[in-house]
Amino acid sequence: MNLHEKELRAVYTDTIIELMTENSNVVCLEADLGKSSGTVPRVWEAFPDRFFDVGVAEANMMSISAGLANEGMVPFCATFTPFATRRAYDQITISIAYAENPVKIVGTAPGVTTAKNGATHMCFQDLAIMRAMPNMRVYCPADVYELRSMVRYMAASKKPEYMQLIREVKPPIFDDSYEFDPHQARVLDQGSDVTVVTTGLTTIFAREAVAILKQENIHAEHIHYPSVKPFDVDTLLESVKKTKAVVTAENQSVIGGLGGAVCEVLAEHYPVKVKRLGVQDRFGEVGDVAYLAETLGFNAQDIARACREMQAAK
Amino acid sequence: METDRIESREQLDQLAKEFRYIITDIMCRAGGGHIGGSLSLVEIIITLYFRILNLKPDNPRWEDRDRFILSKGHAGPTLYTALAYKGFFKKDVLLTLNANGTKLPSHVDQVITPGVDQTAGSLGQGLSCANGIALANKLQKRTNNVFCIVGDGESQEGQIWEAAMFAAQHKLDNLVVITDYNKMQIDAEVEKIVSLEPLVDKWRAFGWEVFEMNGHDWDEIYDTLNKAIAVKDRPSMIVAHTVKARGNECYENRIECHFINIPDEDERKRVIGGVCTDDNGEPFHFNWTEGKDA
Repeated sequence: MNLHEKELRAVYTDTIIELMTENSNVVCLEADLGKSSGTVPRVWEAFPDRFFDVGVAEANMMSISAGLANEGMVPFCATFTPFATRRAYDQITISIAYAENPVKIVGTAPGVTTAKNGATHMCFQDLAIMRAMPNMRVYCPADVYELRSMVRYMAASKKPEYMQLIREVKPPIFDDSYEFDPHQARVLDQGSDVTVVTTGLTTIFAREAVAILKQENIHAEHIHYPSVKPFDVDTLLESVKKTKAVVTAENQSVIGGLGGAVCEVLAEHYPVKVKRLGVQDRFGEVGDVAYLAETLGFNAQDIARACREMQAAK
Repeated sequence: METDRIESREQLDQLAKEFRYIITDIMCRAGGGHIGGSLSLVEIIITLYFRILNLKPDNPRWEDRDRFILSKGHAGPTLYTALAYKGFFKKDVLLTLNANGTKLPSHVDQVITPGVDQTAGSLGQGLSCANGIALANKLQKRTNNVFCIVGDGESQEGQIWEAAMFAAQHKLDNLVVITDYNKMQIDAEVEKIVSLEPLVDKWRAFGWEVFEMNGHDWDEIYDTLNKAIAVKDRPSMIVAHTVKARGNECYENRIECHFINIPDEDERKRVIGGVCTDDNGEPFHFNWTEGKDA
């Protein structure tokens, strides 16, 4: 079985087990959503002494993880994105980020990928609020190869870090040779007409959009940002100086996330027109991913349309 | 007085007087501070730092040391005074409390203050952090103990009780927690806001070994801490009955003592007078430069 035939959460779990085998300081925490993250039962069974399910108590999980990290342990703690970020925001801010305790926070089922759980579980602001937190790094892998490399990077890094984790099988973008570098965005397609900036789920959507546009002789330069913070400024500027037009797309609110980061950089360094696709300041709803991405306006067709409009307006 | 371990009642009494004077003095110089919950902890923190905790002031992050988490982080000035007397930094650093660029902020900070094991101040989090520290120390097979002080008002935070359940579930018998039960919080008496009672029964029901003590009685504090340390297979809670702003006549057991403002010299003299034993206003003569650079 190829790696990319596996669910991302299975690869997360595989990687955690590898890390726990290699390093006795790595510990795994869950807040009664381990089955959803993939670590229950496998990590629990493999390492019963280093797996801690704190129960439905996310605030407690964050501060316990801070204490573990304070003592040199490497805690990976996961739960759904709303509970991994906004529910425990002050615990993450004070116990982890301000105190410089390098906890590894994993937000599962980001944005619309929580699907049938609906609006209560559908967090569209985690990139924005985690990005606004000093000392915190913010990552969104787009496939299993990037995820695996990212998790290994996080285990070695001495920084507090937050990573979104899509659970399901997704198409491969990279391969075995991929090495994650938070300071390096990835140019997936080269072009000179418009720059498309994406992360996580929308990187998959944009691949399709770029293919559609090619048939129309519109050449988009597609940049995937595995790290929204730190943000690779140079790669964006280099592209935008060619294209003079930008479309961002994210599985998040358009306020404060990837699109926000892009606009901040461009406003200061190289002002050009930017179209931000994502959730337009509203809450989610139940539905499947295809329905939600279409309804909320950031699927492949939306990205292609925005690029056409950008190109036409030149 | 340069201090390592202290046993005599006279020396302990003298140290408590000096602590109360210094805590009041540095807050007055800073223009104000959390005097109530700092003075209620003087005997407990002195006992911890001069009779119980195994530390190396020359090596603040010594791996086998006992840990101390001041979850009610606003009592930092009492902890800082203990750290200075232990030699973690010079005593004159105490004079920088809350000054611009200080290493001694009003709430405790593990990043900038030598000897502070865990950042705290946003109430309710320190006990969970102490759980993580105690858990890590067990995983690392260390034989140290982890001590934590929570406030009574702080115990209205739901996270305290999340942490209470977790510590019992994982049998964290290397964890000893003290509630500074001075019966007051910012707005009024705890009983008038949201009662904690029956507090002892609550902790017992959560699976903890529970003790009570007079938090100003040297022998009771020492004996109770040793009993708590000896407990096996469960965490220990010591409910310490204390008096808020204990030892400062201006504020002792008065609801307005949580945070005081010192707007001018007259008020400074009045509040310093609350801990002075003579009419001169400066009963203690410190060598503020003792100790090592922070």
